Amino acid sequence: MGKKLIKHPLYTITYLSFGFFIVIPFIYTLVTALFIEGSLSDNLQLLDKETFLLLAKSGLIAFSVAFFATLFGTILGFILYKTNVQFRVFFKISLLIPLFISPYILAVAWKDFFYFFINNTSFIYSYIGVILVLISVFTPLSMLIVGSALANINTQLEESGFIITNFRRVIFKIILPLIKPALISSFVLVFIFSISEFSVPAFFGVNVFTTEIFTQFSAFYNHSLAILQSTLLILICVLLLLAERKHIANAPFLSVSEKGTNNKLYNLKSINILSLLFLFAWFFITIISPFLILFIQSFKDGTSKFVQAFELLLPTFSNSVGLAFLSALIIVFVGFTAAYHSVRQGGAKTNKSFDWILLIIFAIPSIILGISFIKFYNQAMLDFIYSSYAIIIIAYVGKFSFISAKLIENAIKQIPNSFDEAAQIEGITAFTRLQKILIPLITPTLFVAFIISFIFSLGELGTTIMLYPPGTEIMPIKVFTIMANATQSLTSSMTLIIFSITLLLIISFYFTMNLFSKGFNNK
Amino acid sequence: MTNTPLIELKNITHSYGNKSVLHDLTLEFKAKQLSCLLGSSGCGKTTILRLIAGLETPTNGQIIIENKILTKNKQILIPPHQRNIGFIFQDLALWPHFTIYKNIAFGLNERKEKGVRDTVFKMLEFFDLQEHADKYPHQLSGGQKQLVAISRSLVLKPKILLMDEPLANLDVKLKRKMLEHIKNLKQNFELSIIYVTHDHKEAFVIADKIVVLNNGKIEETGTVEQIKKSENKFTKYFLEY
Repeated sequence: MGKKLIKHPLYTITYLSFGFFIVIPFIYTLVTALFIEGSLSDNLQLLDKETFLLLAKSGLIAFSVAFFATLFGTILGFILYKTNVQFRVFFKISLLIPLFISPYILAVAWKDFFYFFINNTSFIYSYIGVILVLISVFTPLSMLIVGSALANINTQLEESGFIITNFRRVIFKIILPLIKPALISSFVLVFIFSISEFSVPAFFGVNVFTTEIFTQFSAFYNHSLAILQSTLLILICVLLLLAERKHIANAPFLSVSEKGTNNKLYNLKSINILSLLFLFAWFFITIISPFLILFIQSFKDGTSKFVQAFELLLPTFSNSVGLAFLSALIIVFVGFTAAYHSVRQGGAKTNKSFDWILLIIFAIPSIILGISFIKFYNQAMLDFIYSSYAIIIIAYVGKFSFISAKLIENAIKQIPNSFDEAAQIEGITAFTRLQKILIPLITPTLFVAFIISFIFSLGELGTTIMLYPPGTEIMPIKVFTIMANATQSLTSSMTLIIFSITLLLIISFYFTMNLFSKGFNNK
Repeated sequence: MTNTPLIELKNITHSYGNKSVLHDLTLEFKAKQLSCLLGSSGCGKTTILRLIAGLETPTNGQIIIENKILTKNKQILIPPHQRNIGFIFQDLALWPHFTIYKNIAFGLNERKEKGVRDTVFKMLEFFDLQEHADKYPHQLSGGQKQLVAISRSLVLKPKILLMDEPLANLDVKLKRKMLEHIKNLKQNFELSIIYVTHDHKEAFVIADKIVVLNNGKIEETGTVEQIKKSENKFTKYFLEY
């Protein structure tokens, strides 16, 4: 391994930097809290019945969200990826929007919805409210996972089924068993994301495990308990993710193209209208109504609150966009370095430790990552990181590099090795091969990885709320902190602005991407 | 035709993980000959080409070209681009984002050669491809792509051309035409060619020498006539199908 690290200096530097800035703080925090600031047995006594009850409640919420998101995601995925329903391209893209909107924005919108129509928000300020909002956020993820799996089924497997039996039997006996890994991956990922979610339960005032950790850490300064609780949550997330690692890491939903698929599309005939209605209803409920309701609430007393919201958010724009941009650049760089090494440099005995590290850090709930960074960087020697935006960038890089690495890895795997070998035989240097052959061929994926990292970084709240340096202005933090004391319409206006910015970014990125792909495909 | 071996493989053993592909294989290729490696899928034909090219390192044994040891004891002593070889991959490996001109010129440019444009166009004219210079690979037919891949290799003036089932994806008519092209390459460019195929009919059309491989071992070596009349059990069985 030592020789390999020296042979690949760029990879080595990236790996070691990731280890130093992201992994060591995490390990340091766990070790000091569990073993140094009190013995492990003393610490374990802090875990009382209440803690486990709360964990069970959070688990139940996450289970409900994962179950329903996977169920609805499978139905949507089937309609959009396996049938010739009208407007399928439009719905395929537009239904993904909630995935890129910060969950707390949708929480605000749904609170406004209940306030506007029944003048009573108690229903939404509950476990049910948290579950409903999270289902609307994570169903698109499930749709993407299951849909991609459906699109990748070998057509001949389905057709040979039709020769033997009817449509319903083919679905239950052939298609569903074939996409079982995707269904499990979807359930596991949504479960992990839901149990780690902080902003929605915090906004609705619902006590779950993540809000409890936040309270213990920030309000009661009971760091040992907070970290102990965090360890429980990390264990659950990491174990679940590791069990599903292979399926998640190689899943087609982490690919930009659907290369090699010869997807069979079914004619819906009599249920076509029903399917269309379902798609429109989902689109209206999860995208149009939140946007409309925020719009109505923002402007119900004229434009003054909207203008005020804009003025409040204006100073945060450049900071937030700058932070997200820089983070996305670094995330793509880290993702590329890890992916390139994993696919091309390692050979058969590739050292997969970087992959594992990226995966584990990805599985750690944001709030816990935030806590470990505070504990590690809050010391004189590292104050230049702690008191600057650097700490936030490091957190975003830790949190989102896994997605970027997997996207890029799948893209590199689709480029035949022979392209590189042909150039190698011609005497082209490794750097030129990278610069002139591999990178141009995976540019669309690098661009998508950048966009996704940018949008996720722009809306991240769980870690940012723990880490933002005092006196700094960041968009989601500004909204979240003002929310508590602001009027309804001011809160709605602020979330409407962020909603619109994210939406505009997604639309403009989509069109740029389309231009990009057209140019690329024309070559 | 000289009798001195141009390429020598001495006691080559190679495995992928736990799977052994070549077992103590010793083989020679003479200069300016067209040698065919013939055998079924997985018998180690492509591995031999990749070892000669330096794209793989053998687990054991030596590879020698023109009396220079290139690979010895798991170490590549001379890298692929210094071996003076050309390689035609099975998928042709034409870079899809480069035009035909750029695909051929890329190696010359990177080697900072002079008169690149003239050299490339001479090559394109030789294969009657000049009107396609500004096109991209996906705009050409299968046969034209083959010729571009060959041009890209030949423009760097290799002494040895390694061809890994280059005609596998062509129809019978085009295959016949391309085989004629390949046969002529040997004379026109003074090349030594090692051609990998699983199709004995292809080998019979172009080969000066045929090496029949089975499970990583040489079953027999001979001219087309010798192989046709072979009494070797495996060769006879292989030629029947």
